[in-house]
Amino acid sequence: MAYDAQAAADRFEQADPRDILAHAVEGFDRIALSFSGAEDVVLVDMVADLGDKVQIFCLDTGRLHPETYRFIEKVRDHYGMDIELMFPDPEAVQTLVRDKGLFSFYRDGHQECCAIRKIEPLRRKLATVDAWITGQRRDQSPTRTAVPVAQNDRAFSAPGHPLVKFNPLANWTATQVWDYIRDYQVPFNELHERGFRSIGCEPCTRPVAPHEHERAGRWWWEEATQKECGLHITNIREADIGNARESA
Amino acid sequence: MKITFVKKILADGSPCRKCGDVETRLIESGQMDRIDEVLIADERDPDSPGMRLAADLEVARAPFFVVDDGGERKVWTVYFKFAKEVFGGSEGKASDAARDILDDNPDLDYV
Repeated sequence: MAYDAQAAADRFEQADPRDILAHAVEGFDRIALSFSGAEDVVLVDMVADLGDKVQIFCLDTGRLHPETYRFIEKVRDHYGMDIELMFPDPEAVQTLVRDKGLFSFYRDGHQECCAIRKIEPLRRKLATVDAWITGQRRDQSPTRTAVPVAQNDRAFSAPGHPLVKFNPLANWTATQVWDYIRDYQVPFNELHERGFRSIGCEPCTRPVAPHEHERAGRWWWEEATQKECGLHITNIREADIGNARESA
Repeated sequence: MKITFVKKILADGSPCRKCGDVETRLIESGQMDRIDEVLIADERDPDSPGMRLAADLEVARAPFFVVDDGGERKVWTVYFKFAKEVFGGSEGKASDAARDILDDNPDLDYV
């Protein structure tokens, strides 16, 4: 019988992340944790108590901060865990750099580079598992306020290969994450001490001011409208939408 | 079966770059010959054919494809999935498929 992600999301809506992880690990034999080298290290700490079933992987874009590489290695040593590094397709990177240079994202937007360096390796990894775990939280940005603790992953599911995504930290705040890091003496990326709240690739990440959302430190040169492909459907008269729905 | 391709013009009058990329891939793959109708969703004009179709089908993204087999109308907002499921065969370059996924799921920046 297919896994009911909605039921799990309802059941674990306010649950402790450790309970969500235990449920996920119990339900799936092929399950992986995406570790970004940032404060999602709390998930690594939590799954360390659940045996070695969870595959931990990082997307090594080739453009991470040196501090992040050192941190990944530190986590590997600290927990004695295998951390699989997923690399982008070298031919795709070579073509991109040859055609557009090393910093095309400042001119053309980050999507092309991210697709090659992050999304394609991620997709390759997710094709080998039935569930995965992310560090997404609702308090990270205004676009994440509805992140469920469990969901069917419509982005990476394929015909004949449904994929479930768990977001155990969805209902935690940054304060709770950092309390956990302090209380359990979890190692953390030294960039956090320099004002980096969200950590990605070195050219695309910068520290943020205290009043800013942590995601404001990513792709700051892009206008909000360039960050998405939405059809600005609000331009369509509300009455038209209402009429269309009534006649459907 | 009727296949419609909807591309948009942004509110500032400029063409949507993603729509242009997809159109290029349609042409280069020869799939454009199998598209029956191309509609423009002009964000400046809610009565433009593409905007009206988007409203009708409650589609909030562009470009998108509609396949009408005389009964149910099916919508795809991800090119590689559309190409694979409607035209069959390969989904194309892995990096192009990854770009489609990212464009359709902008919040994937969390990875």
